[in-house]
Amino acid sequence: MNVETFRYDNKIVRAFAIATVVWAVVGMSAGILAATQLFWPEANLALQYITFGRVRPLHTNAVIFAFVGNGMFTGIYYSLQRLCKARMFSDFLSWFNFWGWNAIIVAAAITLPLGFTTSKEYAELEWPIDIAIAVVWVAFTINLLGTILKRRERHMYVAIWFYIATAVTVAVLHIFNSLSMPAGFLKSYPVYAGVQDALVQWWYGHNAVAFFLTTPYLGLMYYFLPKAANRPVFSYRLSIIHFWALIFVYIWAGPHHLLYTALPDWAQSLGMVFSVMLVAPSWGGMLNGLLTLRGAWDKVRQDPMLKFMVVAVTAYGMATLEGPTLAIKSVNSLSHYTDWTIAHVHTGALGWNGFLTFSVLYWLFPRLYNTKLWSTKLANYHFWIGLLGMMFYVVPMYTSGVTQGLMWKQFTDDGFMQYPNFLETVLQILPMYQLRAVGGLLYLAGVVLMAVNLYQTARSGKLVEEEEAKAAPLSAQPVHEEKKYRPHRFLEAKPVLFTALTILAILIGGLVEIVPLYLIKSNVPTIASVKPYTPLELLGRDIYIREGCVGCHSQMVRPFRSETERYGDYSKVGEFIYDHPFLWGSKRTGPDLHRVGRKYPDAWHYNHMEDPRSTSPGSVMPPYPWLLTQTLDTNVLPARIKALRKVGVPYPDGYENGDAQKDLASQQRDVVVGLSLGEVNAKPDREIIALIAYLQRLGTDIKNQSQTIAAQ
Amino acid sequence: MSNHDNHDDPLLLDHEADGIRELDNKLPRWWVWLFNLTILFSVIYLAYYHVFAKGDLKQYGQMVAEYRAEKAIGDRLKGAAMARFESSLATVEPSKDAATLAEGRALFERNCAPCHRIDGGGLVGPNLTDDFWIHGPTFADNVRTIWNGVTEKGMLAWKDQGMKPNEVLAVASYIYTLRGAKLEKPGKPPENQVPAQTGPNEYE
Repeated sequence: MNVETFRYDNKIVRAFAIATVVWAVVGMSAGILAATQLFWPEANLALQYITFGRVRPLHTNAVIFAFVGNGMFTGIYYSLQRLCKARMFSDFLSWFNFWGWNAIIVAAAITLPLGFTTSKEYAELEWPIDIAIAVVWVAFTINLLGTILKRRERHMYVAIWFYIATAVTVAVLHIFNSLSMPAGFLKSYPVYAGVQDALVQWWYGHNAVAFFLTTPYLGLMYYFLPKAANRPVFSYRLSIIHFWALIFVYIWAGPHHLLYTALPDWAQSLGMVFSVMLVAPSWGGMLNGLLTLRGAWDKVRQDPMLKFMVVAVTAYGMATLEGPTLAIKSVNSLSHYTDWTIAHVHTGALGWNGFLTFSVLYWLFPRLYNTKLWSTKLANYHFWIGLLGMMFYVVPMYTSGVTQGLMWKQFTDDGFMQYPNFLETVLQILPMYQLRAVGGLLYLAGVVLMAVNLYQTARSGKLVEEEEAKAAPLSAQPVHEEKKYRPHRFLEAKPVLFTALTILAILIGGLVEIVPLYLIKSNVPTIASVKPYTPLELLGRDIYIREGCVGCHSQMVRPFRSETERYGDYSKVGEFIYDHPFLWGSKRTGPDLHRVGRKYPDAWHYNHMEDPRSTSPGSVMPPYPWLLTQTLDTNVLPARIKALRKVGVPYPDGYENGDAQKDLASQQRDVVVGLSLGEVNAKPDREIIALIAYLQRLGTDIKNQSQTIAAQ
Repeated sequence: MSNHDNHDDPLLLDHEADGIRELDNKLPRWWVWLFNLTILFSVIYLAYYHVFAKGDLKQYGQMVAEYRAEKAIGDRLKGAAMARFESSLATVEPSKDAATLAEGRALFERNCAPCHRIDGGGLVGPNLTDDFWIHGPTFADNVRTIWNGVTEKGMLAWKDQGMKPNEVLAVASYIYTLRGAKLEKPGKPPENQVPAQTGPNEYE
């Protein structure tokens, strides 16, 4: 038989592996900085660049896209070559992928602290970086599919199915969620508004979890777990069923992030039931992982790599049972906006993604360097410290989430709110925040141990840059099909058809949920009194976005008496039609702000932003003294008004050529007069004036409607 | 590396990928049932709440129907308690209990100080330490003003802000102790008001 000799590229694998470890330390350190500020706001060192609202997206981007992203590429570049019996399609694309991806992360690490953000969770990066992401991701996809096309293994193994689903779905999600209108370099407004923006965002956000944090890692599990355990995969049939079920069902589940919001009922229900139906397909992956270890549990005791793997797969199982539970509306009514969600995502992030990455790295380094792991003992220490860190993270977050959720909902026998002061419910959970930071610190300490161990391992061996392998080309291989699984075996040999069917499976759910929201008018009933933001309010809103206020404050009052008593009337879908982007938020570390407009005098906001503790003793909100001193940049106004007009906000033609500036100046003077009533002397051109104008507008348009009706 | 210790497993399929073999195990029974049950639940759920929705569920949708029901019960309870409190307003007395006054002080600093200044000297809102009472000088007048507000002048109706009757009494009792207080910084001067008899004040 005609046998070809070729070389696996290990250098690219090592590059991604090193980046994985470096970004793990960076991303988790940012997490600890953010966690610390939640009980000790002074930890921002009075610097706007590292204040919670800006550090939080830095943390999430660094751990998701930098740590897990590089981890995913590490595992894929190693396993794909071997599963295809082929070198990567193009060395250029491999290195373009590596340098491109990591340059994007560096750009994120610079722009996010500077306040350049779209505010859309896990999609915060501004449009030039978004374009770069799309280009690099397409390069990765071409490299992946190219390698598959020139493979020397007729059938694609299950890991490759998951890689394909990852590549194509992330491309679709990223491109459609990032569609926006530039309003200058590093500033843009999404083409979607209000509820539509919310639905597209959470279709993206939820499926970033599904197709960035889950499917690629399932692929890695399917390669590295049977390899390390030296056992056959438990059930090929289960692989087939759970793969197709998972990718088809997952894409529908996004609306569970918007339960009890102004999203139409039918879309919420679809999000909920598809989340419930997701339990079994997810557990299929966990079962196939854990049951593969049957007969190999003695190895788990000895091999730290397998220990990490078992905890990772178990954490995956727990998180994917908990997720659907949280997606049940009645559970969500308690858990949403609380730390319960934080606990849930960290079970997945620390357990599934973190531990699986560690497992892969411990397995890879000795093989890349043709040596033995420097210290098994140190790896075991890492395992236990990491596990302890997870417990210290997750358990306090469950406790604080449930505690605060119940306090928010508690009524007295007379039907009054038991805890009408939001701050009281925050003070109650501060000890939990302290414990959580300890958990994060332990987890990071484990990562540092791993870094030392991997470094020493690398030093003790020599990198096998090019690993020689032999295989016959496909054309020289006999075609042999197992009768029992003929249709799927056939499909596994047809990568293009397979990819096309995958795209079809992931498009259906999104189309069914998103398209009607545009085409059927009754889904977004308009309210006549809801008007676009004034120029000053618009710039104030952009400051709200820049400072990451949405990270702690929702703007979405749910239809529960516990919320309408606390905040005011529940939010209506028609109130958000000019909100590019939507700012509904997903966590209430502070109270909801949708009805904060005109609730307090202007001076209250001024004093509160200067020092939150002066108006709310004990508050953990950071002070924003820079807003009082920085001058509002009004030069950006014309570009922003034009951009918003292009996406459908009805500012009159030519409004930006003078009238807008006049309106802005006049409203600035109004706010200054309002402030003087509260003995605050402020200059009209400061950023705080714009922010106050925006806050005082929030949620008030609908009140004008009732006043008009009352007057008639 | 191949899975050579399993060569005799009859379930072993004869394909492999980079040495990884796969078994032909059946799907776990309970797993199949779990999947089927979640699908059945989904069908029933969608049918009940959407396809065959009746009454309020059909008219308002699930969320608002639930909210209306919940609100009706809560508002009735609260309304009764508020009516009881309002009928007692004629006879209320300021509390001298230290714990109540401390609670009142905390409430004052959080809710009232933004407009009336932390020492009661007045900012947007009037001075609470002098003898000029715009909306009545008695303790009961104060309670009524806090409870019902003077919305045209910007004074909030605290009954609508989640303040409970006992809290209104506590904060009014604390304010009562501020009468005649010596302020470090002069308080806000009265605005065309006639001084009123503020009644005996043992805190003076």
